[in-house]
Amino acid sequence: MADHTVKAFDEDITRLRGLIAEMGGLAEVAIAEALDSMVRGDEELGDLVVARDKKIDALETDVDKLAVRIIALRAPMADDLREVIAALKIAGIIERIGDYSKNIAKRVGMIEGRDRFEPLTLLPAMGELASEMVHDVLTAYAARDPDLAREVISTDAKVDAFYNSIFRNLVSHMVENPATISSAAQLLFVARNLERIGDHATNVAEMVHFAATGTYPPEEDR
Amino acid sequence: MMKARDVSVYYGPKKAIDEVSIDISPDYVTAFIGPSGCGKSTFLRCFNRMNDTIPSASVTGSIELEGDNILGDSMDVVQLRARVGMVFQKPNPFPKTIYENIAYGPKIHGLAEKKPDLDAIVERSLTRAGLWEEVKDRLDDSGTALSGGQQQRLCIARAIAVDPEVILMDEPASALDPIATAKIEELIDELSGRYAIVIVTHSMQQAARVSQRTAFFHLGKMVEYGPTSDIFQNPIEERTRDYITGRYG
Repeated sequence: MADHTVKAFDEDITRLRGLIAEMGGLAEVAIAEALDSMVRGDEELGDLVVARDKKIDALETDVDKLAVRIIALRAPMADDLREVIAALKIAGIIERIGDYSKNIAKRVGMIEGRDRFEPLTLLPAMGELASEMVHDVLTAYAARDPDLAREVISTDAKVDAFYNSIFRNLVSHMVENPATISSAAQLLFVARNLERIGDHATNVAEMVHFAATGTYPPEEDR
Repeated sequence: MMKARDVSVYYGPKKAIDEVSIDISPDYVTAFIGPSGCGKSTFLRCFNRMNDTIPSASVTGSIELEGDNILGDSMDVVQLRARVGMVFQKPNPFPKTIYENIAYGPKIHGLAEKKPDLDAIVERSLTRAGLWEEVKDRLDDSGTALSGGQQQRLCIARAIAVDPEVILMDEPASALDPIATAKIEELIDELSGRYAIVIVTHSMQQAARVSQRTAFFHLGKMVEYGPTSDIFQNPIEERTRDYITGRYG
C-alpha cells in the first residue's frame, strides 16, 4: 500500500503494528515456556512466565492508548480504520492468550509424580500447535494476508481434536489411578487453556481477515 | 429525479469530465468528492447549466430532470435554475434586506403576487433553513449584515423559496466555522427527502456525515460511486481507497 501523504500517520500505524507484533512475540514465548515449565516441573521458569505477563498487559494498554489517539487525531478511513479497530481487538485477545499461559504456569507446582505421569507427554505437541497458530496469525497480521488467516482458522480443529484426545486419556487415567485425580484435573485445565488459546488465535485470524478485506472469513472456515 | 448519461465536459479541446453517468434523487444526499481539479465542481455545474457562462465550455451527453432534457436548446435556463437551485462556497446574499433576498425569486418567477403570500413564503423558507427564529425581528436588516453561517443559511433559504426540486451545493461550509458548519450539515439532513441534494466537498468527514451516496472523481472520471458507508469503510477501487485514506499523490 502507498504511504500516507502525512508521514506521521504512517509512523503511528507502524508503531501500532509494532506493539501488536511485540505482544504476539511475548505471548508465543509465554506459551512455550509455560508448557516447558509444566513438563519439566520447573517452578522457577513458571514464576518467570507469570511475572512476564505484566509486560503483555502493559503493552495492551499502550495499544489502547495509541489506537484511541489515532482515531481522535487522524480520523482513519477504510483500510486504516479497520486496521486500527482490528489492532484494538487483537491486543485484547493476545492479552487473554497471555493470561492462559500464565494460568498454565501457575499450575506447575500442583502436579505430583511427574516422572510416572505419562499424560504429561501429550501436552507439548498440543502446545506447539497452539503456539504455531499464534505465530502464524501474527505473520498473517504483519503481511495483511487473509489466506494465511484462513489457514490458521482451519488449524483450530486439530487443537480441538488434541483436547478431546487428552481429555479422554486423562479421564481414563483418573479412573485407573484415583490417586492422581488431583494432578490429572490440573492437567485438564492446562489442556483446556491450550484449547482456549487456539480459539483466541482463531478470533485474531478473523480480525486479520476483516482488516485486510473488509469481510469476515466464510462460515465454512470457522 | 435527475439522470445524467455519458456526460462529458470540454474546456476548449480539454476534456474535464469524461462520460459520467449518475442518478440523483430526493431519497438520498449525494456527495461528490475528489482532489482539486478532478472535475467534480464542473460536473455539478452541469446540473443547472452554470457552465453556459464559460464561453469555451461545451457539454455532451444528456441530463434529464423529470424526463426533460436540460441540455436541449429549448430548455429555459432561468426556469431550470429555479428548479435546480445552487448554493456556493462563499455566501453571496444580495445587498438587500433579508426579506428581499428571499422574496426576490418567488416574485420574478411569479410564485406569489400579494404581500401575504410572499410573507408566507419568506417565513416558510427561513424556517426550513433554520434561520427564522434568528432573523424574524429584523427582516429589514441587510442580508450582508448577518454572520457567515447565517448568510449561508439565508442563501439556502433563498434557493428553497422558489420551490426547487434539486439543490446543488458547492463547498457550502468550507468558509464557515465548525458550529456554523454543523448547522449547515444538520440543515442538509433536514432538507433531504424534500429536495434532491448534491454536495461537492473537500472534507471527506463532511461527505461521510451528510451523504448517503458518494461519488469519487479523479482526472475527470467517476472512479467509484456507491453507498457512502461502503465508500468510506471498504471502497472497491484502489484509487478511492488511496484518496480517502490520505495516500493520494
